[in-house]
Amino acid sequence: MSNHNWLMIPALIIPAALPAPACAVQYLTLEQAQQALFPWAAQFVRADVLITQEMKQRIEKSSGVRVRNTMQQVWRAGGGGKELGWFVLDEVIGKHEFITYAVALLPDGTVKGIDILDYRETHGSQIKNEKWRAQFVGKREGDAFRLDEDIKNISGATLSCNNITNGVKRIVATYREVMK
Amino acid sequence: MKNVILYTFVCATLLSPVARGESLFGILKGAETLPKDALEVIQHVTKRYDKGQGTYEAVDTKTELEYGITDRATGAVYLLGQSIRTEGLKINGYLPKDEAYGLRASGVEASIKYNFLSPAKDDFGLSSYFATSYSWLDPHSGQDKKKLTFELELLMQKYFLDGELTWAGNVGMESTMAKRGALADLPADFEWSTDPEMEIGFRAGTGLSYRFAPNWFAGGEIVYETEFETEVGQERRSVQAGPTLHYGSKDWWLSVSYLPQISGGGEMYDNQADGNLHLIEKTKQEIRVKVGFEF
Repeated sequence: MSNHNWLMIPALIIPAALPAPACAVQYLTLEQAQQALFPWAAQFVRADVLITQEMKQRIEKSSGVRVRNTMQQVWRAGGGGKELGWFVLDEVIGKHEFITYAVALLPDGTVKGIDILDYRETHGSQIKNEKWRAQFVGKREGDAFRLDEDIKNISGATLSCNNITNGVKRIVATYREVMK
Repeated sequence: MKNVILYTFVCATLLSPVARGESLFGILKGAETLPKDALEVIQHVTKRYDKGQGTYEAVDTKTELEYGITDRATGAVYLLGQSIRTEGLKINGYLPKDEAYGLRASGVEASIKYNFLSPAKDDFGLSSYFATSYSWLDPHSGQDKKKLTFELELLMQKYFLDGELTWAGNVGMESTMAKRGALADLPADFEWSTDPEMEIGFRAGTGLSYRFAPNWFAGGEIVYETEFETEVGQERRSVQAGPTLHYGSKDWWLSVSYLPQISGGGEMYDNQADGNLHLIEKTKQEIRVKVGFEF
């Protein structure tokens, strides 16, 4: 075989993979996620939170989870003259790409629900299933937020499950330290 | 060349879309296993070249079919192939003559990986890996050689920074029983033993890989290998080190590694210019390409 003929092997195989379906799977738009988590809300008012260095340290200390972004995207959900809670949009690291998800908090900081907007990993599409997401409902600060303890793992997506679980834990701590 | 294209075409056709998996390094293995019933196909291509004298180029291919038996156990079967072009270098007892041929099937292999601790869930990942292979072509000389190999490794893995940084460590050993085919027309003083031989080898390596952008990982690894043989004792030792660039997406992944030998010793051939490398069974340069698809 002459010098670079061996390169033909990957060169021919790689294009075979390229017609694969586009990777991005957007399950929900922002508006759809807001509607799903707060179906009775009449309005969502943007109330982003800028996390200072001091706040970051407090959140990390109380949750044990690293704060990657100092700007947290937050909306106040309201309807019928009442405050219904907080809608928090967040990203965590998946195996290859970021996972975009949303957490709904009741006015007292208890988790009302979570939903997945974007998930682009090979395994673990069950993360979108209502049964898996329902495990977070009612969670509050002080709960374990640990895989195979109070949150079930999904095989093949352990890193994603772990990072979402930690992300929700961090948001609950952010509520107490910053948004309360 | 025709063989390569045909072989590749068959692989590519069989593999087609839908993909992913993970091999962040060229030689090192991670501790994670496939989920139950997941199927993955990986094509490995390794080019080894430059023994410091004459011309030496060899390409090893490995087509791997991996299956998640349970969430903790992954089994795999492999078809091995090789091509070789060696010219102007004869090494007594190892490299008997010039040889050149295109891609040929050279062996089969099977492996099982069992996961004890998950790197994402238990903070530290630990798996055992057992493989056995039977081959009929010598990857070094390209000549006929029947070889049965058993390999056992401990695979360690740890995530840092939510998984942006991955550490892997492997330690393992390999035992081999081999018998060469006879060769005609060799010079009278050329040693070419066809007696059965036994070898035992050890390997240890460590590496780090960092996700510098979504889907893209850059890393490096260093691997030490040594092999002992009945007649000569420590036949070889070598250290390979180099970078790996990895792209991984939902459907497929690709890793390209450059792993030159940076240090070595043991047996040397006559008039070997590089005194600090092992160039009989290893080469100065090595490039590994892996592409994986998941079904």
